[in-house]
Amino acid sequence: MHDTPLKGRPPYPFGTIGVAVAFSPRLDDVLGEAKILAAACSAQLILIHIGPRTPRNETTLLERCNLLGIPSHSMRIIWEGGDPVPTLLDCCKQNGVDLLVLGALRRENVFRYYLGSVARGLSRAAKCSLLLLTEPNVSGTTFDKLVVCGDKNPKTIHTMNTAVYFGQLLGTKEISVVSEFDQPGLAMAMADHSTAGQASTTKSQMSSEAAATIHNMVCLCAPGSITISEKTIPGRPGYAIRQYAESCKADLLVINSPDSRYGLMDRIFPHDMEYILEDLPCSVLIVHSRVS
Amino acid sequence: MSKLTHHDLITLLLAISVMLIVSRIVAEAGKKIGLPMVMGELVVGIGLGPTIFGSIAPAAHEALFPLATNANVSLSLDAITSLSVIMLLFVTGLEVRLPLVLKQGKIAITTGLGGMILPFITGFAVAWLFPGLFASPASGARHTIFALFLGTALSISALPVIARILLDMNMLKNEIGMTVLAAAILNDLVGWIVFSFILSMAGQGGAAFSLNHTIFAIAAFASFMLVIGRFIINQILPWAQTSLSWPGGVLSFSLGLGLLCAAFTEAIHLHAILGAFIAGIAIGDSVHLREQAREIMHQFVTNFFAPLFFVSIGLKVNFLRHFDPTIVAIVLALAFLGKTAGAGLGARAGGMPWRQALTIGSGLNARGAMEIILGTLAFEAGIIQQPVLVALIVMALITSVTSAPMMRYFLRSPTAG
Repeated sequence: MHDTPLKGRPPYPFGTIGVAVAFSPRLDDVLGEAKILAAACSAQLILIHIGPRTPRNETTLLERCNLLGIPSHSMRIIWEGGDPVPTLLDCCKQNGVDLLVLGALRRENVFRYYLGSVARGLSRAAKCSLLLLTEPNVSGTTFDKLVVCGDKNPKTIHTMNTAVYFGQLLGTKEISVVSEFDQPGLAMAMADHSTAGQASTTKSQMSSEAAATIHNMVCLCAPGSITISEKTIPGRPGYAIRQYAESCKADLLVINSPDSRYGLMDRIFPHDMEYILEDLPCSVLIVHSRVS
Repeated sequence: MSKLTHHDLITLLLAISVMLIVSRIVAEAGKKIGLPMVMGELVVGIGLGPTIFGSIAPAAHEALFPLATNANVSLSLDAITSLSVIMLLFVTGLEVRLPLVLKQGKIAITTGLGGMILPFITGFAVAWLFPGLFASPASGARHTIFALFLGTALSISALPVIARILLDMNMLKNEIGMTVLAAAILNDLVGWIVFSFILSMAGQGGAAFSLNHTIFAIAAFASFMLVIGRFIINQILPWAQTSLSWPGGVLSFSLGLGLLCAAFTEAIHLHAILGAFIAGIAIGDSVHLREQAREIMHQFVTNFFAPLFFVSIGLKVNFLRHFDPTIVAIVLALAFLGKTAGAGLGARAGGMPWRQALTIGSGLNARGAMEIILGTLAFEAGIIQQPVLVALIVMALITSVTSAPMMRYFLRSPTAG
């Protein structure tokens, strides 16, 4: 077992990839995806199952791995008991997992959403990057089109670089860096004091500032053969990019990890990532950049 | 059925048009020298009211604003100003985005709490210990209600003027600006709920209800609207915006719901403003509410209802006769010290360096139109007398005008850091 702390490590390369294993009908698909990712990233694979370690489960998992051609020398299996979310988080921390891969439903029912499913629970609290696969495929998902959230945040540059790294390894053709433009209080501030010209100037100035911010960040990336485009969209952070990713049929939405640990209140009054978790538009990569 | 006569209608329309046109001219002139619009509107009210116009030309004043002699016109104007204040609270609610408080996290909460607790305690203590200074009863329920009111009045902030100041200083998007906005949202949410409670205690809206009933009714209504109501609104708004006429459909739905909630809270012996405010929060928080619809509602209310309301205050109150320098000085001192120090300490506790913390405290010190609305409602409910209302109005104007220079001072000052 590695003792390497995750803190301070850059978000990529993905040297160790964890897979949350559940004995569900999608087990083969998730394992297939993990195998392809591990091969692309030259990463060690750790299969983590939170649940009883029965001979039947052990046999099933080994059989599935053999069938899918996952070499036993490049993977480890960890069996743990307990509450899935904290146990998985602890396993990732103990084993220095850089990326945790798991299957996730696009939309949970209301009860499960508010009480917290495993995938959503991990997304809110993980200390490593997370790949939520909405439609895992045993032969691998194509990640042709990536949408990256270009929020003004110190983490964003790391997230963009991680998206480029991921895209280069998995044959991505296009990355759209999207900045959401939303200003609480603007309508109220301009209601009585601004002429039509001032109002439109203020709005276009704010929009230009948002566009300049993402342009500066994009300039720092080295995308290689991937085409990078920039876009500023109006709307509530999280919700607007979810709509955008859905409308442009993105294969993967790449976002920053939350700045603080989300709780029940964040689900009742959703904001940012919580809008995305409400209804995943596609697979989602949550990059934990571990910036201090 | 009682009806407005031909003459009543002409008088009413003339009064409204004079209030709107003159207040616009004066407010625009004030804007040129950097004064808030509300100041121009109040000045017009003072000019058109008993303070100036009424004392110079009493006959002409009585003909244009026959509030004392013509019950029909007086009642109609009263209905319009009541509707105005309900609409003002509704659009204030539209900007109360609770997720922003959660997003800003610890610093928003410590700043918001600091900006409420210290002004509330100081205001409450002074009103409780020295009721004679404010001509308030020295014992009984009225004594408690007045003390609670003064504490609440000093702890509230004014989102519209704060948003405007931050926009002018190009600080709306930076960390200080976002913290000020989030803390102001928290201040306003708690402040208006507490104020509704005080109004209910003061017996507004009919029978006196028990304390427990009032607390339960406020909590139940707010929780229902902010959880289940928001969910229902989120289902209806997309349909209203796509299937009904645009923007008519969504405006009718939103304003109608605001008034419906106002009627409901009035009916259950809470004040109508609470219903409008909470409905505004529930609608404004929806991601489905298009920015254009939000802007139209703000424009309509701010440029039609707000001038009528603020001018009407000057029509009712004689500012010169009721200007008491002692009360004004006390209220000003409490307002500046309580808010700037309280919010500043809160921001410091949230991890902000001293200089930025005091900048935040100065930003939150702007009381603007919200304080004037609060004072007017308290005056109409019999909680305060005219000298206290005048002092609150003066305080609201001075804090609004001084907020930006104070912020600039603390941002520049090397000693404050």
